[in-house]
Amino acid sequence: MKLILSDRPLNLEIEEDDVEFIDLSSLKINNCVGCFGCWTKTPGKCVIRDDAVKIYPAIAKSNKLLYVSRIKYGGYDAIMKTMLERAIPIQQAFIRLVDGQTHHVQRQVALKNAVIIAYGDIADDEKDVFKKLVARNALNMNFEKYRIIFTAESQLEQTVSDEVEKWEAL
Amino acid sequence: MGSIMILNGSPRAPKSNSKRYATIFSEKCKCKTEYFNISKTNHIQLCGKSEEFSDILFVFPLYADGIPVTLLNFLKTLEENPPKNKPVVSVLVNCGFLEYSQNNTAVSMMKLFCHQNGYRFGSVLKIGSGEAILTTPFKILVNRKIKKLASSIACAKYCILQTTMPISSKMFLKASTAYWINYGKKNGITKEQMETMNIEE
Ligand SMILES: Cc1cc2nc3c(=O)[nH]c(=O)nc-3n(C[C@H](O)[C@H](O)[C@H](O)COP(=O)(O)O)c2cc1C
Repeated sequence: MKLILSDRPLNLEIEEDDVEFIDLSSLKINNCVGCFGCWTKTPGKCVIRDDAVKIYPAIAKSNKLLYVSRIKYGGYDAIMKTMLERAIPIQQAFIRLVDGQTHHVQRQVALKNAVIIAYGDIADDEKDVFKKLVARNALNMNFEKYRIIFTAESQLEQTVSDEVEKWEAL
Repeated sequence: MGSIMILNGSPRAPKSNSKRYATIFSEKCKCKTEYFNISKTNHIQLCGKSEEFSDILFVFPLYADGIPVTLLNFLKTLEENPPKNKPVVSVLVNCGFLEYSQNNTAVSMMKLFCHQNGYRFGSVLKIGSGEAILTTPFKILVNRKIKKLASSIACAKYCILQTTMPISSKMFLKASTAYWINYGKKNGITKEQMETMNIEE
């Protein structure tokens, strides 16, 4: 499955059936309250029954993943970050070693080829922090490969369309 | 000697590990401290209050490799409502995994906030195995480092500190497995149930 998760609406022409586009800003997603219910009470399910419970299964299933997010302080801005925090039901509480470092065991989560499109007015030091962040995400979010594209908001739709076309050409 | 505003950026602040770390900090600190949970509704009030302090200590957990959205949202409000006299910003961050270095990106984000908004960046304490360390004999290591953190801020001799359980990754794997099995057990959930590969099914 191919998934585009965006923190704002985008005008895209998507021709393929197996591409799902989700605009997080149009959904009701509360922030994670850190209760660990998804690991220890109702494993694999978040106890907060809002729109996020439709999104993390899609993240888990996708093998091609496109995240589109504004950047703030070198990280994802609040809309995307809220969703990423709510996605921990796709992992188990239990820990494994990845390259000698401790990380969580994934549930049924496809290996991902991820493209992260980071937009906004992003300074070089901010880009460096974001690159470090995504490198860490790759270990925790089952990215087999990833690419980061920095772009201005005015170029965003074009940048996303170009990436989707690359998927469609595959 | 200055005064320190402690701001807890955990989304479960009232019942958080961060609160426990903050309590130890207040006990060890020789200068005046005042503690606040960051909630959804008190951002503006906290921004105003921050003017009364020489230092802010942000205490928070690592969330998805970065700062929790609770803290991010507060920083955005602080950016819009800066105090007249900007306190020095220090950080006490804890993560669930063993390696304290996994907190580095969150620390870089806090530095970026300071750089972009004209705050001096102060001390850092990075804690690994922060979910469980206070329930083990290694609590003593945390107490020591928090004491150092407190005196570094009180004397304005800012520094970078870190601590974690001094055990191998394999040992940590065993210990954390036991910790989580016990957590589930309290909710009447077995290890096998916790290990389900199903998501929302
Ligand atoms: C949504 C969520 C995301 C988390 N992400 C990470 C992470 O990326 N790395 C890590 O080591 N621990 C992670 N943790 C674990 C917390 O950092 C750890 O449990 C911490 O002790 C919580 O502190 P608190 O009680 O002060 O909130 C995460 C926990 C939650 C609930």
